[in-house]
Amino acid sequence: MKKTIKYVIIAVVLAVFVSGCGGGSTTSSEDEVRIVLGAYTTPREAYGEIIPLFQAYWEAETGQRVIFEESYLGSGAQSRAVVEGFEADVVALSLEADVTRIQNAGLITHDWKAGEHGGIVTTSIVAFAVRKGNPKGVGDWHDLARPDIEVVTPNPNMSGGAMWNILGLYGAAVRGHVEGVAGGDPEAAAEFLRQVLTNVSVMDKSARESILNYEMGIGDLAITYENEVLVGRNSGQEYELVIPTSTILIENPVAVVDANVDKHGTREVAEAFVEFLFTREAQEIYAQHGLRVVNPEAAAASASLYPPVEDLFTVVYFGGWDVIMVDFFGPEGIYNNVILQVHRGE
Amino acid sequence: MNQEKKGLGAWVLIAVMVIYVIILIVGPIIALASGAFQDGVVPAVRSISSGVFAQSLVLTLRISVLVVVIQLLLGTMIAWMLVRHAFVGKSLLNGLIDIPFAVSPVVVGYMLLLLFGRNSPLFPLLDRWDYRVAFDTPGMFLATLFVCFPFMIREMVPVIQNLDRQQEFAAATLGASSWTRFWRIIFPQLKSGLIYGMTLTLARAIGEFGAVLVIGGGVQGRTETATLFIFRALEERRYIEAYSAALLLGAFSVLIVFLADGLKRSHEKKQMISAEVNTL
Repeated sequence: MKKTIKYVIIAVVLAVFVSGCGGGSTTSSEDEVRIVLGAYTTPREAYGEIIPLFQAYWEAETGQRVIFEESYLGSGAQSRAVVEGFEADVVALSLEADVTRIQNAGLITHDWKAGEHGGIVTTSIVAFAVRKGNPKGVGDWHDLARPDIEVVTPNPNMSGGAMWNILGLYGAAVRGHVEGVAGGDPEAAAEFLRQVLTNVSVMDKSARESILNYEMGIGDLAITYENEVLVGRNSGQEYELVIPTSTILIENPVAVVDANVDKHGTREVAEAFVEFLFTREAQEIYAQHGLRVVNPEAAAASASLYPPVEDLFTVVYFGGWDVIMVDFFGPEGIYNNVILQVHRGE
Repeated sequence: MNQEKKGLGAWVLIAVMVIYVIILIVGPIIALASGAFQDGVVPAVRSISSGVFAQSLVLTLRISVLVVVIQLLLGTMIAWMLVRHAFVGKSLLNGLIDIPFAVSPVVVGYMLLLLFGRNSPLFPLLDRWDYRVAFDTPGMFLATLFVCFPFMIREMVPVIQNLDRQQEFAAATLGASSWTRFWRIIFPQLKSGLIYGMTLTLARAIGEFGAVLVIGGGVQGRTETATLFIFRALEERRYIEAYSAALLLGAFSVLIVFLADGLKRSHEKKQMISAEVNTL
């Protein structure tokens, strides 16, 4: 009897203790400030090095310690989380459309593209990872439609990286840079997209997950960012990078989320952080982690690592993200039509 | 004890089953351990002694223990109600309880986001009190509670159904109060069921991934549970760290299961002894 009462008491005390330590706080004080970074998955290693530099810089400037809370999700998922109430002060995403979604929700109210580089902090290109020694002899886009090639690419409905991949492939075809596909013919390009998607075995949630599964041995080839391949190789992976003759320039935006910085009182430090990301110091770290950079000096210093592409185009070629989100990734868009055909086995 | 002499067929069958269990369960565990200790024991231990993993483990335990305590009380009460009382809507309630079994945890996370996110009608109210549910611990707690909800109830319903009501009636006739009847007659019979239900609930809560990722946002050091930590370590190619953390978490769960099993056995033994004493 006494024993059972003891159990009850323990249970109650435990419950009180556990519920007592409630949720975390995002308050700031004079000598300490907390900012939340909501980012997409690929530049995480770069932020791991840039953040300590910024912390040292800010403490030297103001005497204030900056504590970072970082979250890395697929770009689309991260953007939706912010819209649903994840209080990120700064977002660093894979593509403009994901920032636009936050803007449309009324959370970003300033013109985030007004800065020197149009709010684009890093760039990359869509490229291929192939197995060591390129055993299947993949040289360019047309090889991806070969029946003996198993392709890995993430899911465009969840991952920004996947959207870039689809646009790179389709653009190269329409621009007449895919062997055997007539240039200037949207239908031929869509047919080529269908052939490649038929070869896709796994569609992961994010660009990083996709390349990790490729590392685990799935597929002959991964369509991915150039920087994913370089980061993988830096960590000891033995796959190789193949840059196609024609590909799209990936442009990754960064922006301060007005509604959240005003709520947290972190506007000053958040804006300083975004500004810091464009300095030569930060940009060189991005460059070490496989990303092409916008700062001219940092870009010149890393030029040998990043060969120019014969035919490089940007989203402007398709009329910008507003058009792309409808024409390619809308419910009636090119991608959804093609993927339906693939699922039906046509 | 008289054991039959086993034929060759029986031995083959036993061998097949043993091999099956080894391949299915022991194989992956060995793979995990060899991954964690690929560079020796010291790097494995050092990799997870950073504060971040400890933080995530504390968050996991806080959420899981709270879920277990609540389910111990409310889950048992619901089971009791379902067995002992008739009321309008009972079959509906009975059906609702199993919904968490059927819904994918990721969907659970999104449902809670719809309910507590910025676009929910509840949001302005929560915001005024500056109380965050989504992307914070309360949301993660609710998500875990949701996915763990049926375990305690489904464990306790048959236990309560099998209670020996004769003893209760006898005690009541002898003038025992309802409090005394509960603690001295009913509770001892429920005990092993309660322990098993708690174990199932705890194991499920510790292992939850999808629902807490969606509702919590996976913020490092704040809404990152131990399973989310492991996932992130894998994504960052810190394999030794991921495998070591997974091994530790797995060992913890196994320990709980063994502990519960031990408690249950010692309890059953005691009951057997007291039953023998009664028959004397």
